[in-house]
Amino acid sequence: MVEPVENLLVLLGIALIGLVVWAALAPFEALGWWAGWFGEPLGEPDEGEPSAQPTPRAEVALFAIYLSGISRASDETLSRREQRFLALLREAMPRAEIIDDVFPYSVNNLPLTGQRFFAAIWRWALRRKLSPNRLERLAGYLINIRNIWQIAISVDRRYGPIYNQAVAQVMYRALRSRGFDPREPVPVVLIGYSGAAQIAVGAATYLKPLVEGPLVIVSLGGIFGSDPGLLAMDRMVHLYGTRDRLHWLGWLLFPGRWPFLWYSAWNRALRAGKVVFRCLGPMAHAGPGGYLAYHRTLPDGTPFVMRTVQTIADLFPEARALSPGPEAGSSSPTGRASVVQSG
Amino acid sequence: MFSWGEWIRHALALDPAVYRAVLWDPQGLTLALAVVALAGLSEALAQSLVLFINQVRPRRFVLALWVSAITHVVGFFFWTGTIWLIARYGFGRTLPYLVLARAIGLAYAPQLLGFFVLTPYLGSLFALAIAVWSLLATVVAVSASLGMSLWEAAACSGLGWLGVQVWRRTLGRPVGRLERWLQQRTAGIEFRWTLRDVAEGVLVQRIRERLHRARSPGEPDAFRDEREAGHG
Repeated sequence: MVEPVENLLVLLGIALIGLVVWAALAPFEALGWWAGWFGEPLGEPDEGEPSAQPTPRAEVALFAIYLSGISRASDETLSRREQRFLALLREAMPRAEIIDDVFPYSVNNLPLTGQRFFAAIWRWALRRKLSPNRLERLAGYLINIRNIWQIAISVDRRYGPIYNQAVAQVMYRALRSRGFDPREPVPVVLIGYSGAAQIAVGAATYLKPLVEGPLVIVSLGGIFGSDPGLLAMDRMVHLYGTRDRLHWLGWLLFPGRWPFLWYSAWNRALRAGKVVFRCLGPMAHAGPGGYLAYHRTLPDGTPFVMRTVQTIADLFPEARALSPGPEAGSSSPTGRASVVQSG
Repeated sequence: MFSWGEWIRHALALDPAVYRAVLWDPQGLTLALAVVALAGLSEALAQSLVLFINQVRPRRFVLALWVSAITHVVGFFFWTGTIWLIARYGFGRTLPYLVLARAIGLAYAPQLLGFFVLTPYLGSLFALAIAVWSLLATVVAVSASLGMSLWEAAACSGLGWLGVQVWRRTLGRPVGRLERWLQQRTAGIEFRWTLRDVAEGVLVQRIRERLHRARSPGEPDAFRDEREAGHG
């Protein structure tokens, strides 16, 4: 009886050491890229590249960049829930140009599956992630762990300047490719889901000097540190659910978020009135009861995802249709827009 | 007869017996020097951020790591000498210099883990833990090898540390400059950024200023890769 327990402890110990070694190696990706050892430089924004369906320039009231949570492996691996959420958001905010092809966990927007050395591992992990077998899906969590290290890099004061300015460049190039004109005071909104809120906050320091209009961060159950980006951005709206225990990790893990460290960036941003909190109701962090869930509803029958979409859309009335027609997503009392029924 | 792994394991466990045993082991000095050199390499890797932010080429990077490891070994001999002098003239305890060096060298074992300082976000925690661990290992090594009480050993090591600091800030300044010159020479480029620039936000400020200047409608590419700017 003792031996199996001992073996298990040894295995756990090895796994833990492996994780720490992996974490220690993680910064080399961003550092090596910065030093020019590997990876393509970001190059020029490819303005000739057509976006999916670019909104006519004159109608764009704001630009929004959606940044996925840690389970994403590339700029094309949005989950079905995310795809529906974005479709609803586009419907509710027809005058917003919503960008969803920024992969926030890479310095040059390179998907994990496109990496030079480890692409095969990530493709394997991605296949496991989509497997119906629960045990196999565990291997898919390698992607999550890898992306968690990138969040830690973003929040780290040594690596943050390199990582965050690179992600800001990726964002800026994505904006430019959708017709963003830095001369115009158009609001730019970064929607960071879960750990991606840290990526948004980290990039804010470097994105702000490039935009004329306000830079707003929507933190969807966001987990983020007391990053100087909180002082650079103009406003943060932190959306949370009462059943979301994970968004508290931000408070737990980052001492700068604790109230008694009064001079931290977070506490200064709070005092400056830059941060607003909005409760979305009894929603969890992710999954079938999460912010993007459609089949779970509030007492008034509104699907969770619709409440999330409505709340975000209400923050930016300028992005709604000039004369709201029947197709505007949030006009229905139940919030069930056509795109949801068809999807 | 220990294997090298066992020597290091016991040294990490701060076992006084192993610090006594290494004094007279035929492989003792080789082991001590190997531990110090590898610890130096690990520490150099932990401090390699400065090489990356200054965009040192891979071959130069490896060379710079080895030079750091060698200067670590030189520092070790100096550190041992300071403790040897203080033990002899301050506490009346003596051992042949190269014998004492074996115990002090083995006490560098915790610094083999210096590499973990690279861990994002938790790096400073690891740095603190490794520094305290190394200090305790040195105290145990001095106590075990010179037959001092732990308090005496702590005082001896503390005075030795103080001596090194005074040396660095006074007569040792030219040596420090030589070390920095050697580092830059090995790296093959002049460093534009220091670790202090990163810690004090100078790098952030420079990048922001550059970005702000670059925000020009006719010139979106002025917001060019910062990493290219580094070569500039």
